[in-house]
Amino acid sequence: MTSWLSRAFSVARFVRSGKAALFSVARFVRSGTAASSARRPSLLSRAGLLGVASLVIAVSSSRAEDTFFAQRVAPIFEEKCVACHGEKKQKGKLRLDSFAQLMRGGEGGGVVKAGAPKASELFIRVTMDPTDEEFMPADSKPPLTPDEVKVLEVWIAAGASETALLSSIKGAPALAAPQGPTVALAPDWHPRALQIAQLEKTLGLRLVPRSHVPTDGLVLRTASSPGRCDDAALAQLASVADLIVEAELARTQITDAGLTAIAAFANLRALDLTRTAVTSAGVGKLVVLKKLESINLTSTAVDDAGVAPLRSVASLKNVWTFDTKVSPPGPR
Amino acid sequence: MNPSSPDHHLCSDHCGENPTVWDLPHVPLGLKREWLDLETRRHFLGQGVKALGWAGLATLLGRSAPNLLANAPIPGAPAMLPHYAPKAKRAIYLFMAGSPSQIETWDYKPTLADLFDKDLPESVRGGQTLTGMTASQTRFPIAPSLYKFARQGKAGRFVSELFPYTAKVSDELCVIKSLHTDAINHEPAILQLTTGNMFPGKPSIGSWLSYGLGAMNAELPTFVVMTSKMPHRTNVQALSNRLWSSGFLSPEHAAVALRSGSDPVLYLNNPKGIASDVRRAMIDGVNDLNRQLFERVGDPEINARISQYEMAFRMQTSVPELTDFSNEPQSTWDLYGPKAKEPGTFAYNCLMARRLAERGVRFTQIFLRSWDQHSRLPTNIKLMAEDSDQPTYALVTDLKRRGLLDDTVVIWGGEFGRTVYSQGALTPDNYGRDHHPRCFSMWMAGGGVKPGISYGETDDFSYNIVKNPMHIRDLHATILHLFGLDHNKLSFKFQGLDQKLTGVLPSKVINDLLA
Repeated sequence: MTSWLSRAFSVARFVRSGKAALFSVARFVRSGTAASSARRPSLLSRAGLLGVASLVIAVSSSRAEDTFFAQRVAPIFEEKCVACHGEKKQKGKLRLDSFAQLMRGGEGGGVVKAGAPKASELFIRVTMDPTDEEFMPADSKPPLTPDEVKVLEVWIAAGASETALLSSIKGAPALAAPQGPTVALAPDWHPRALQIAQLEKTLGLRLVPRSHVPTDGLVLRTASSPGRCDDAALAQLASVADLIVEAELARTQITDAGLTAIAAFANLRALDLTRTAVTSAGVGKLVVLKKLESINLTSTAVDDAGVAPLRSVASLKNVWTFDTKVSPPGPR
Repeated sequence: MNPSSPDHHLCSDHCGENPTVWDLPHVPLGLKREWLDLETRRHFLGQGVKALGWAGLATLLGRSAPNLLANAPIPGAPAMLPHYAPKAKRAIYLFMAGSPSQIETWDYKPTLADLFDKDLPESVRGGQTLTGMTASQTRFPIAPSLYKFARQGKAGRFVSELFPYTAKVSDELCVIKSLHTDAINHEPAILQLTTGNMFPGKPSIGSWLSYGLGAMNAELPTFVVMTSKMPHRTNVQALSNRLWSSGFLSPEHAAVALRSGSDPVLYLNNPKGIASDVRRAMIDGVNDLNRQLFERVGDPEINARISQYEMAFRMQTSVPELTDFSNEPQSTWDLYGPKAKEPGTFAYNCLMARRLAERGVRFTQIFLRSWDQHSRLPTNIKLMAEDSDQPTYALVTDLKRRGLLDDTVVIWGGEFGRTVYSQGALTPDNYGRDHHPRCFSMWMAGGGVKPGISYGETDDFSYNIVKNPMHIRDLHATILHLFGLDHNKLSFKFQGLDQKLTGVLPSKVINDLLA
């Protein structure tokens, strides 16, 4: 049972995003019956975690462990302190990887005086002048944030309890808003990296990942040489069509014929056709794009009849028609 | 130099022709190792990444193990990638240099009207050190705004009568009233806003964006700066390229400053009698020499120079197209006003900024100076507002109607605030205001910023912040966030530090500003 408690802390930290069902992961792990199945959150895919969670619900029946210590205090120790005060190292003979260890104190005695943060060595060390050699964390490791210091302060002031519930201790800064679940906008592009490289080279356009998240899709970018991007070029993008989430085609050479290729960009959300030769006759082809959120038709020849079919695209939020025959022309 | 045997020390006079840190005695081994590591990395990044691009990435990934890096940061991907999907692709920063008074513009203080010529309570000033310009004043008489405010737009925001045009886009703006900064004088304050640091030598915001995200349009610079003609000149501070330099980042991330007049980029045109193919041959020759030098000494700055030659050559085509306004329809001139036809005016620069945004330039910074109204403020602030109000409104409106405002963030503001008390004599129709770093107002619009809101509050004297203080660092963190960049992760190792735009002091993204 290797440092199962610190793992529990990690999971608790990961879990505090507010999904009630997931809290039971911490409970499960803390019970120690299946610590080996609790992995560090960084290794856990969301789906995997959910799997563990549902398993837990079936196994465990004790009450949810929603304590202030487990949810707020332990994660701080885990992130900022346990590297030197934990299972592997015990500098100053102090361990902070469990409540019992914390209360046992270090070589100088107890580090927490319940009810009195300013008389608690733990609190004193993290709030003293950072240039003081007794300041913790030592060796220029990242100091506690003001919010983290505040959490320690209110927890000690409230009695430094292991069992006090999260809701019973007031005054702690709110946690950062939990990151929403990552929605896959497109398949992972990595398996097609070679194709992408070749297409960029032969077509003179760019296929840029939108972010580090591999399922955030690609931007089809033509700003460097819009003159090289024409209907024929678009037709050659079939093998990566489902990866393209944004298509920046302003000022390119494309015409209505090119919109056939674009209609195959099934995951397309934003399409810029500013100052292209597309017309009302072609725009109707785009109604098959069920994820399209914005389309920019500025300075094109489209008219009311051309944009009318777009009304059937439920996902569409913005249609820009400045400098076209569409009425009314633009917002002002 | 013998990196393979790190314990081999040479006397300093036996370093040979090209001594390196490695050859120096008395340098701790750890530091030498760090240097070696840095050198290797610089060389890899300098010569590697650009050549590597997608093709190199594909090789790295390998045909058989395409998911090797699936969840890791992607080294060698084309340009660096945002940490998360960005809201903003570009920014246009309207820098009101000299610092317009917040009291006449965005921080409406109706109760001041009753306090005309009363002394500012000592408790408000709180023993603050004043500048030499007002420290010797015996009185600090309160000067209410001579300009009136009225509710505008659906949000009902109070907007100054100085800005009848900007009032029309009030609902697009996110006004921050609680910015504060560290410097009380222009130069350090402007530097802090443009580079995050009061001392010269740090990269500008635009350089960090260029370094972090690369170019969208390889034919134009990623970062462009323009200075504007002024409707009048009072207390004008010098601007120079330290405000838009790349600091310790590669020189290619520095801004290109577009000049007003017929020659927006100096020496870009070929000299008389030199044809384009001759120029091309010359650049090829110089680049060849530079490449040979690079192979010998491996300094990445040489590659930066090669890329600058190439950029200059490409700009010979792209810049004339950019600056040719002849295809702008009459509606453009109606919107921006007649001054937009005169190169170098603020109106012209705003129109240019829109054209740069259309062409994928990431960061455009326009400076408009002469807001430093220590005296005759009522007269001079009106001149400045009249010059800039319509173009500012026009830019926001133009971006919006063309569908560009959604992913272009517009930023307006100076480098600090101004005092509520009058500098010099206060009369019913004349006063001045001194520098005031404790609070000032800016606004942002578009690019993922929440429209129509105000953030932060100051006290009744617009002197101290009473709610939601926002340091310049927080502004920088928030701007980077809009671009999908985590200000704590966008760093560059220099002089032993992981340097960041936001530095080492606490800074945070202001989530309340995000749409």
